[in-house]
Amino acid sequence: MKLSKKVVLLGHFGVGKTSLFRRFVDNEFSEEYKVTLGVQIKKKLVQLPDGRELSMIIWDTEGHSDSIEDTRKSYLLGSHAFIYVFDITREQTYSTLKQDLEYLEKHYTKVPAKVLGNKLDLVNEKEITSHLKSQNIPFDCLTSAKTNKNVQDFFSDLAKDITK
Amino acid sequence: MEDQDKLKILKQLLLSEEKEFADSITQKVEALHKIVHQKKELSYKVDPIIDEKLEEFVQEIPKTLGPTITEALREEIKNSQDAVVEALFPIIGKMIKKYIAHEMKLLSENISNKTKKAFSFRNWFRKTKAKVQGISDGDIALSDYAKPRLIQMFVIEKNSGILLADYSPLSDNTVDKEMVAGMLTAIKSFVEDAFQGGDQNLELIEYELYTIHIQNFYSYYVAAVVSGAYTMMFKEVLEDQIIDFAKNHVSNKELKNSNLFTKKIKKHFADEIV
Repeated sequence: MKLSKKVVLLGHFGVGKTSLFRRFVDNEFSEEYKVTLGVQIKKKLVQLPDGRELSMIIWDTEGHSDSIEDTRKSYLLGSHAFIYVFDITREQTYSTLKQDLEYLEKHYTKVPAKVLGNKLDLVNEKEITSHLKSQNIPFDCLTSAKTNKNVQDFFSDLAKDITK
Repeated sequence: MEDQDKLKILKQLLLSEEKEFADSITQKVEALHKIVHQKKELSYKVDPIIDEKLEEFVQEIPKTLGPTITEALREEIKNSQDAVVEALFPIIGKMIKKYIAHEMKLLSENISNKTKKAFSFRNWFRKTKAKVQGISDGDIALSDYAKPRLIQMFVIEKNSGILLADYSPLSDNTVDKEMVAGMLTAIKSFVEDAFQGGDQNLELIEYELYTIHIQNFYSYYVAAVVSGAYTMMFKEVLEDQIIDFAKNHVSNKELKNSNLFTKKIKKHFADEIV
């Protein structure tokens, strides 16, 4: 039986949502920054450990500037998972993280939200991990869309999680 | 007898009638005072008069004020059409609005068909050609117009944009259907959100020779890609067939099993005339 899930990428402007999206789906990366307007959608077939194949339909939404509440609500409806992306080099991109996660939890109760810190290639992993922990910033994974570090593993784990 | 007593007797003799009259007036004033100051009493006296006057008034209003009110309303509606539509729109609701639009389109199609039939040069040419070639006028007329044709059909989950089933009567070679389903949903969501049409749904997308007919149901929608002339008649046939399919072949079982759903939609629409 065909298995399809909708996953939505969320986060502030310029945190690398589209780069992650392109890296995961097409295994490409570009230094050129183009703002996403509205939403773009791509599909990636993910092989699950039990032999099933998952059609992961990924919605890359335009970044918000203040709070996640600015994101068009209709894009979030019917999601099977949210990926909240922040830029580990820019504190303002995770300054509203806790409120944003609370908002998602309140309005989309059954949808899991994973938090991903991107641009790991620009910092020292140990230092940033301890910094984020000291700031009580909850995160599930740190990645680099540029170097592909942890990207494929993150999405594979997510695929497993949402098909359990 | 003293003078004062004499005067008193004289007064009694001279003013007895006036005194009686004054007493009776006093009694009447007291009675009136009682009526006016006791609500119940006053009501007993006045109500029948008011009722009678009101009845007369009600009967007279249409004759006297009716034309003035009608004229004032007519003038007001004429001068503030937008305000009237604004006020009536929520009450009329989208069903009536759709019905009127639908009827207007049918009427417009009828008129243009009749006009074409009566005056067109093409019609005259077609008749001549039919005579020369010995083919029926109707056959040539049919080939003149592009027949609407169902190219592809998608059944898509409303919120997520996940493709539930699809059917392509002509060929299966197309762009990724799941991405089409997602993008269609994103476009639909954007339009429905951005223009704040309340609970209204996007129902049609036109691009050059193609039309995407969108039919909304509770948890899913059907997007049918049609080539050729998307006429009201074709729209009605298509709508009826989709409703018939939804009514008789779609249940929770199909919504949860896209393979089964796709098989059913293929079977149903392969047998149907669209």
